[in-house]
Amino acid sequence: MKARSIIVSLAIVFIPFIIGMTLFLVKSSAVIRGKAHFIMDTRKNNKGITYKGIKVDWTFCPDWEYKPLFFPAEEYLVFMFHYKNNNDYDVQLMPSYTFASPADRCYSSNEEISMYIEDDLEKSLKADDQTPITFNIPPNASKHYIVTFEKPERLDSFYIDVDVFRDITLVIHYKKENGIWEDYENELVKKYKGRG
Amino acid sequence: MIGTRGFKKEVTMAMFKKIVKNFGPEWGAAVMGTAAICITMQLSSEVSRFFSPLLYVGVGFYLLATVMFITFLIPWILRFFMYPEEIKKDLQHPIRGNFFPTMPISFILAGTGTNKLGPMLFGPWFAYHLSIVFFFLGAIGIFIFGYLLVRTQFLNRDVRLEHANFSWFIPPVSHLIIPVLGACSMDVYWAGTNLAPVLFLISMVALGIGFFNFLFVGAAIWHRYTYQGIPEARLAPTLMVGITPTAIIVIFLIKFIQAVEASHGGLFGINFMSLFPLIKIIASVLWGYSLWWLMLVVILITHYITTKAHPFVFGWWAYTFPFEAFTVSTGLLAKCVATQFLHGVLITLNILVVIVWIIVVFGTIKWLESGAFFKPQH
Repeated sequence: MKARSIIVSLAIVFIPFIIGMTLFLVKSSAVIRGKAHFIMDTRKNNKGITYKGIKVDWTFCPDWEYKPLFFPAEEYLVFMFHYKNNNDYDVQLMPSYTFASPADRCYSSNEEISMYIEDDLEKSLKADDQTPITFNIPPNASKHYIVTFEKPERLDSFYIDVDVFRDITLVIHYKKENGIWEDYENELVKKYKGRG
Repeated sequence: MIGTRGFKKEVTMAMFKKIVKNFGPEWGAAVMGTAAICITMQLSSEVSRFFSPLLYVGVGFYLLATVMFITFLIPWILRFFMYPEEIKKDLQHPIRGNFFPTMPISFILAGTGTNKLGPMLFGPWFAYHLSIVFFFLGAIGIFIFGYLLVRTQFLNRDVRLEHANFSWFIPPVSHLIIPVLGACSMDVYWAGTNLAPVLFLISMVALGIGFFNFLFVGAAIWHRYTYQGIPEARLAPTLMVGITPTAIIVIFLIKFIQAVEASHGGLFGINFMSLFPLIKIIASVLWGYSLWWLMLVVILITHYITTKAHPFVFGWWAYTFPFEAFTVSTGLLAKCVATQFLHGVLITLNILVVIVWIIVVFGTIKWLESGAFFKPQH
């Protein structure tokens, strides 16, 4: 193999790694970094919900800013849900999350954005995010799950459906009062189990 | 001075035309083999915080694959207009013809990469719209070549049993890959929109075509391997393509269940809770088959190496994408079953994928240096 060919091959092989490491270092530095502003952690004021021995808590950041490399920054609604198993046996969880607001269609969480911000969030809250769709929680253990929703413009109220139990849905309601987000109601709604 | 410049321009033009004339349909395989690594990297980055930088390395592979895709697409398209007789000759060829769908597959892979890593570069809105454009362009190309190739194969009187090889799997695989991007698109953005039924139908139709053609074509190739023996050494890498169909179905199944979940647990009445246990079982079974096939490839390649020469040919790119598809299927299956074990397998496979890719890149440059590009083997 000629020297020129070796150089070309090495250049092609190294390009993705050089780009990757550069991006990683730039993103990790303060140059391109979103702002984080947590307004609520239900673990602090015991506002979470317990159902069938599983305590559900959440930490909420209404304006997590994420900046794509080539586009301006956008704000996201970011939650980290905390599940604690208070039973004497293992439980298997398979949560899913839906956002709904009065003027907008409802939509599911954005796994991609969660993936990009997960390191920062994990460091801030000192908790590891679960990546599997379904995960096991041993007795007295806690597991955490990051959920990110795209934020519609002019948002004044919304609710999140947390489908984690077989027979009920946890619905978390938020509204903005005097510029501050308030978790004004959390309810457990029975699921429809009929035909059709 | 002007004369020299004009002469240089003429030489460059003649060279470009020569490149276009010899630019075979198989070049999409190089894009495929590079693009899929961005997904293996992304999945590996999720294993633990230690592997987080791999997400950005994935972006590096995504950008490299994009550059390759655009660079290869230009001569690939020009050849249809400048040298239609060469295209016709390749389409009639029982081996080379099957590589035509590799370029439309590259569209689907570009779309999948854009869907997964695009939001990091362009934000979600732009990335999801761009990936949908890739979806439709890729799907149209795959359906067109699917029909063209089957028609050619059925009407061509020169096709013999000894022509059968695993490159024949490329058209079925191309159809199987459509629903992967369809499901990825339904998963995050398009789930509750009017586009969801369109994506669902196109994906299911493509899945049906790919699945049944994979079974039928697979039987034909198995017949040849049993009664005619294995093909010559330069076709050995096509063995690897055998991993792909089941690996891609695993990827589709898990992306599909995520799409069902994204539709508030029910997509067109398909219930997440009822479907998920079944998908776990089917995906594990299919992943097992791909693993078995990987072992078979190792056994047969060892046979090739020990008994015959196994020189580098462009076809070695067939070692990359199928292996990467298997790695992606491992990463996604880890989201459903045996997470700890499969995460270990995923990281190991990801390292091997990069090693294979590096070997093939070096081989390709050496192959180009030898002038083999201008002497296509038929």
